[in-house]
Amino acid sequence: MLGIRLSRLPVSAKIFCTLYLLGIGCGAIAAMAQAATAVGLTPADVQASFAREMPMTSLGPSGHGQHQSAEKEISIGDISSAAKVWIRTPLLIQTSHTHLFGQTLIAGLLGLIFLFSSLGERLKSVILALPFVGTLIDIGGMWLTRFVWSPLSCLVIAGGSLFALGYTLITLIALYELWLQKERSA
Amino acid sequence: MRHIVVALALALALASPALAHLTPPVVLVNDRDAVVSLLPGARRFFVREVRLSEKEKAAIRQASGWTPEEDFYRFYVGRDDQERMVGSLVFIGEATIHGSVRVATAFGPDGKVRGASVVELTEETYPWVKPLIDGQFTQDWVGHDSQSRFALSDRLARARSNSMTQFYGEVVANLVRRAALLYEYGIRPSGAAMLLR
Repeated sequence: MLGIRLSRLPVSAKIFCTLYLLGIGCGAIAAMAQAATAVGLTPADVQASFAREMPMTSLGPSGHGQHQSAEKEISIGDISSAAKVWIRTPLLIQTSHTHLFGQTLIAGLLGLIFLFSSLGERLKSVILALPFVGTLIDIGGMWLTRFVWSPLSCLVIAGGSLFALGYTLITLIALYELWLQKERSA
Repeated sequence: MRHIVVALALALALASPALAHLTPPVVLVNDRDAVVSLLPGARRFFVREVRLSEKEKAAIRQASGWTPEEDFYRFYVGRDDQERMVGSLVFIGEATIHGSVRVATAFGPDGKVRGASVVELTEETYPWVKPLIDGQFTQDWVGHDSQSRFALSDRLARARSNSMTQFYGEVVANLVRRAALLYEYGIRPSGAAMLLR
């Protein structure tokens, strides 16, 4: 783009890009570990943390404004022993706003570096869009899981995976072009 | 020099969302362990799910300023081998600006608080609440019911000198009181709550 290529950048710019990409990679690994321990990495885990709680008993449907109660015997094993995080709507709002800002900024800076890749425009556009689209699917999936249909929790996993795929492709291609690609003579 | 200042200003602007980021949650006790530890003597366990009526919600709002917003509340009920109620327990949480706080509160068959534990908070709030947990602050509310005053006692004066410790201690106290109100209107088979049904 604009005649600038990653392979032609001065060494200081190459070091900046490399350290940024590696730093974001470390952050992404830490974020994945955090997500794995706090929520889990399967659609069922996401559903358990984000979806609205469903009655375990025969409690009837809401909407009558009357007192209702129901009781059922359980075994102690039916109570969760997982150290799972309690996510309710206010936390979902907080999580959404911080992650939408944060991940979009990361995607933006990744994209900014990748704009100077020597790949063709079409392929570059697709790869560059992956972290942005992944973020929207990820956060959107959380809301859809909670308020529309709990099996949509698979979107959270899909969105996170798309973000990771975009980051990986951008980083591998950018590092190759920064340090290994030989300039072709005209 | 001007470029450096602009670059630093830009970096600060980009970093600002990170400052607002909630710190990761810290789960101190999982649900099963909380139920087992706060309902000692229970041999059989039941879930009792309660959906409050509009009148009950209004009464709780009038009594405490808090409106129960969940569709239903789940109590874990412990009974002995003869099916006598040993106690019941409910989890209540609140999303604060520094992240979620979740508390388990257990009640005896008489509706009095039998024990309470902070089960979840965040990395940021944990150091504020830890001095209170170390001081077993919830023990001061054992024997309280929904009509009692839930406050941090004077013996915790040193810990309370930190304003954030005081603040989060009050958050936990409010959650325990809310649990007591839920018990009063959701579980208790007699008393003022019945009059409203």
